Amino acid sequence: MATTTLERTNTDSLIGRRIPKLDAPDKASGRTRYLHDINIPGQLHAKILRSSQVHARIVSIDVEAARRVPGVHAVITAADVPWQRPIGVTKDHLPLKSDIVRSRRDEIAAVAADTVEAADEALRLIRVTYEPLPVVATSAEALAPGAPLLHGEDLRAPGRGGALEVVHPASKDNVAMVHEYRQGDVAQGERDSAVVVEDVFWLHYVTHCCMGVSGVIAEFDPSGNLLLYSNTQVPFLHKREFAELLGIDPGRIRIIQPPIGGGFGSKLDIYPFEPIAIFLAKLTRRPVKLVFSREEEFIASPTRQPVLLKLRSGCDSAGRLTFRSVETLHDNGAYTSWGATTPFVMMQTISSLYRVPHCHYRTRAVYTNNPYAGSFRGYGNLQATFAVEAHMDKLADALGMDPLEFRLQNAQDPGETTPQGMHFRSCGFKDCLRTAAERSDYRAKRRANLAHWNDGNPIKRGIGIASMLHVGGGAKMYPSDGCGTIIKLDDFAKVTLITGASEIGQGSETVLAQLTCEELGLPIDAVTVVNNDTAITPWDVGVHASRTTFIGGNSAIGAARKAKRKILEAAAPTAGLAADELDLHGGSIVVKATGERVQDLGKFLRSLHFAEKADLVMTTYYYEPPSVHLDRQYRGDVSAAYSWATQVAEVEVDTETGVVRLLKITAAHDVGRVLNRLGIEGQIEGGIVMGQGYALTEDLLVEGGVIKNPNFRDYKLITAPEVPDVDVSFIETFDGEGPQGAKGVGEAPAICIAAAVANAIYNATGTRIYALPFTPEKVYRALRGKSTAPTWPESAA
Amino acid sequence: MSAMLEIEFRLNGVVQRTAVAADMSALEMLRDVLGLTGTKYGCGEGECGACTITVDGRTVNSCLMFAVDCNGREVQTIEGLSATPLGERLNHSLVAHGAVQCGFCTPGFMMQAQQVLAEHPHASREEIQRGLEGNLCRCTGYRKIIDAVEAVAHPTASAE
Amino acid sequence: MTEIRDYVAPRSLADALRVLASGPATVLAGGTDLMPQSRAGRVRFAPTLLNVQGIDELRGVARDPGGVQIGALTTITSLLEDPLIRDRAPVLRTACDHFASSQIRNAATLGGNICNASPAGDTLVPLLVLGASVVLASAGPEGIVKRRLPLAEFLVGPGRTARRTDELLVAVQAPLPPAGWVDRYLKFGARPALDISAIALAVGGTLREGRLEDARIAFGAVAPTAIRASEAERVLSEGPLDRARIDRAVEAADATIRPISDVRASDWYRRELVHNLLRRVLNDVCDA
Ligand SMILES: Cc1cc2nc3c(=O)[nH]c(=O)nc-3n(C[C@H](O)[C@H](O)[C@H](O)COP(=O)(O)OP(=O)(O)OC[C@H]3O[C@@H](n4cnc5c(N)ncnc54)[C@H](O)[C@@H]3O)c2cc1C
Ligand code: FES
Ligand code: FES
Repeated sequence: MATTTLERTNTDSLIGRRIPKLDAPDKASGRTRYLHDINIPGQLHAKILRSSQVHARIVSIDVEAARRVPGVHAVITAADVPWQRPIGVTKDHLPLKSDIVRSRRDEIAAVAADTVEAADEALRLIRVTYEPLPVVATSAEALAPGAPLLHGEDLRAPGRGGALEVVHPASKDNVAMVHEYRQGDVAQGERDSAVVVEDVFWLHYVTHCCMGVSGVIAEFDPSGNLLLYSNTQVPFLHKREFAELLGIDPGRIRIIQPPIGGGFGSKLDIYPFEPIAIFLAKLTRRPVKLVFSREEEFIASPTRQPVLLKLRSGCDSAGRLTFRSVETLHDNGAYTSWGATTPFVMMQTISSLYRVPHCHYRTRAVYTNNPYAGSFRGYGNLQATFAVEAHMDKLADALGMDPLEFRLQNAQDPGETTPQGMHFRSCGFKDCLRTAAERSDYRAKRRANLAHWNDGNPIKRGIGIASMLHVGGGAKMYPSDGCGTIIKLDDFAKVTLITGASEIGQGSETVLAQLTCEELGLPIDAVTVVNNDTAITPWDVGVHASRTTFIGGNSAIGAARKAKRKILEAAAPTAGLAADELDLHGGSIVVKATGERVQDLGKFLRSLHFAEKADLVMTTYYYEPPSVHLDRQYRGDVSAAYSWATQVAEVEVDTETGVVRLLKITAAHDVGRVLNRLGIEGQIEGGIVMGQGYALTEDLLVEGGVIKNPNFRDYKLITAPEVPDVDVSFIETFDGEGPQGAKGVGEAPAICIAAAVANAIYNATGTRIYALPFTPEKVYRALRGKSTAPTWPESAA
Repeated sequence: MSAMLEIEFRLNGVVQRTAVAADMSALEMLRDVLGLTGTKYGCGEGECGACTITVDGRTVNSCLMFAVDCNGREVQTIEGLSATPLGERLNHSLVAHGAVQCGFCTPGFMMQAQQVLAEHPHASREEIQRGLEGNLCRCTGYRKIIDAVEAVAHPTASAE
Repeated sequence: MTEIRDYVAPRSLADALRVLASGPATVLAGGTDLMPQSRAGRVRFAPTLLNVQGIDELRGVARDPGGVQIGALTTITSLLEDPLIRDRAPVLRTACDHFASSQIRNAATLGGNICNASPAGDTLVPLLVLGASVVLASAGPEGIVKRRLPLAEFLVGPGRTARRTDELLVAVQAPLPPAGWVDRYLKFGARPALDISAIALAVGGTLREGRLEDARIAFGAVAPTAIRASEAERVLSEGPLDRARIDRAVEAADATIRPISDVRASDWYRRELVHNLLRRVLNDVCDA
């Protein structure tokens, strides 16, 4: 795979080639200015004081000494912003807390000062007295009778008129959200089963660890218009939310998105630091920059949703799945962010990855005093897949069937509409299964490993398989799941592609440029992409649900086709041919049938522009995918396409230490079509290693609401020497709705690694581990029978 | 506040004189005092390598180095490396191999790659992996970074 | 963080010692411990920051009559690259290879690792096996006064040493192992180096006619300081190295260690690792 030159395909189409990212040279040379690198003249530096208690009533806050620190412009608490409005997915908290703190990240006060040092000094001088409240440390505790209520009081904030109103009503239990889905009749499924298995799984806390820490710069102009430099993944949605927060018209907010040091879902919600920076900017009338420290990033950014999951599944004697019944407790943390909505994705895997006639799925997201979970690449799917794929192996084992055969027998086919309403127009699932299994020699290795269980050698080898289904054509969660594009061609046939689709490092910019050039017959360097300023770019719902290539791509293609039609229609009279007899190719207008060159495109555009009826080539397009919202029963075809993958993991387990080494991943991904081979390989390799971290090394230790390892020393990301061999195959199913047939893949590669590794550890040792991650001590304990498998709490019965 | 001190050192080949607080890190000096923002803050604790610079020809984590300790030394940052032929080769190779995604870690990898190649001009894959151990990347999964450095270490092998 | 009022960077040992004699000073070498520890508030600066990096006489590896002398400012990278260490004290070289990352090895000094006195300090374990001593210098009425202390006595507790505040660690001295010497170093973890040891161990001795003579065993991260396991050493030295003796040595080692539970490992797991890995390493020596 290590070729430095572009691979030439037989045509000179750009599709499927290895196209380097357009922004890469600047990034590698240190020229790219990330948010952290931007300094606005006159800016102040902000810092936030967080709670030192996990759960407490605030008795008093004394900021007098802090205000006297030289260079300090403002020290604010909730009392200074009585007009603040609630944030979060269910609007259950205020940016600055005044009465109760419910987690160690809770924001109590904030400082804006000339220097970071002065701001730090001021923070140290703020005195807060607390009256401790009992801590709710787990979802089981939260549901226990008589548990302290985290949101037992109405949350009030000023409404539009200014009068206080209830914005989040008191809850009588600690349940923040419930999601329940049914298909068929699970009781019938039980009766039809020859084998039934039931287990409880624990999916742990991990966090995004973007290499660039979070930050924001807020600035108001004298008329009260807000300019925000923000790394949000959803600028247009957040514009509205910020407007509501400030009680101003959304039209008065402009968001500029500087290059981002990693996203992965962490910037999908508004977290308190952004409103707080805005408050400080408003009160000081100065630009305010707020950047986290790494420790703060660990403590105060979202986590992946931790889940306790009970799964019961069955199959008949012929190896057909009969039913699946799932109950989960989502530890919601102190407030509700996107983590609570991961059931939308989890239930898709439960109901539709394999064909299951009867299903029941129920989630309760439960308030605790823990960190709160947001969205994270894969969005609940790592958790659901982990459980489902463990049971696929267990059921196959119970029947004495080959696990691959068992999966093939239950796998989805193209054309299927599942009981949940997902319609698989393209589906390469079985090809993924077969390809990954063959290329890894799964069957033979699996059998060979079993023979070594009792051979006395402490080092064991194992192989495990797992598959996934994920939305690959957006996900209709909002009224629109669309994206707008504006294309402008200049006098020299250079294109400016103005797209709503944000770039968060995933390479969307390059793919969009490529799709545009493909339509216009131009080389890739003919495009400049503008995608980072809400004052310029058209609307888009944001970067999530692996949607950017699909939705942004279709939108760019739409605009490019309009531009092309306009050019060809204008060129037709001079060429003496009909517009549809012409084409754009190699920077020229050509005769479609022969490829014969009619005119240089730049020259033609100039002539158009300087003609009597002068015209410029500028087009717009808005693409809305043909997906629908889930109905109240959680049914509906939410995505315009679905992606599939199978991954086979090979591990080595040292049974005397518990160390599990990931040796190789063989992956087969149904990506619809490969657009940019370099980009897609990068997404997949990066996702695999993120999945490896989730499976083996990353563990955010939360004890009694306190994060014990808020640093890279003890929160272990995978490093270069640990990466496995990777063999990736692309299954091209040419999705009818996808741009050039492609489907989204951004989230897919991380999803099945943990599940495959769990199956591989079982294959190596005969021990199945139900709780992640597989860190050495946990594995060692399990191998020695010294660990207790997760159990379903009585309080949740 | 801690004492302020005048220091003088060579930065990317040019003599630089500046005043720094005694407890300031070299990273803070480069970014906040001298305005060279190519060197990144990723952790401030020596764990991520985003802040890697070269001091007297060897890479160090600038977040762990006291700025005052730069006095009299020869310091190179990504801005300096990028202007050298090796820097250009590394840049091209990282770009062509798709080794840059969000790019936040990349300047640190560039600096450390230079160190690896100085120690092992024809570095093996394993030597490259070990050499890059102190640099974290959350996006790429490292393989393409390793490929890119390998291609610079073995220019003929990869030109087939 | 506390204020630094004075910063001094002397070029000679004598000047540095005069600074130390005149009042409280914080010694700065590579800074790889000092910087993060001071930022986290775990270390408070003395009014004077004494940067010793300019004292070239404290750098380098040299033979001396007692064996080898290593200057306190020698970096982990220089140790790794040193031919004498490679040929005659490979256990120290291996430990340096498993030390942090390339960037940190380039900055971190041996003296800093010893004075930081972390129970998990990676050079301490091999140095204990080599029987190293530290050399401390201070300013006396008639010039520089030096004293030598076995490393085991220098390490007093986690982060605590027998160094007086007016003293500087100037060198480490170790006898060079005799012919027939074998040694092993093992740092436990999934990563090759950038990892604080959950446990580390080193074994050394002279292999002669099936016996491991003058056997040495040292552990890191299983007691308040890096330690020698003398009881286990005695068991090994008493007779031929075989499986039964190895088992007894492992039992003896178990009685010596006092592991704690922290975010990296539980005490139970640390004991299990000591058992399994010491046995593995000794079996490996036995089979060699
Ligand atoms: C990310 C990271 C990873 C690390 N990994 C490892 C690892 O794998 N293994 C390991 O053992 N360590 C590790 N360390 C710790 C550290 O790098 C070592 O302890 C290093 O050897 C310290 O040396 P230094 O020169 O940087 O010391 P400094 O930080 O300069 O000093 C350390 C302490 O010793 C004192 N001191 C230094 N020199 C002298 C002297 N000559 N006389 C008297 N006092 C002195 C200082 O005052 C200070 O208290 C790691 C640190 C970091 C940040
Ligand atoms: S910022 Fe220096 S190593 Fe992370
Ligand atoms: S490219 Fe994003 S961290 Fe490496």
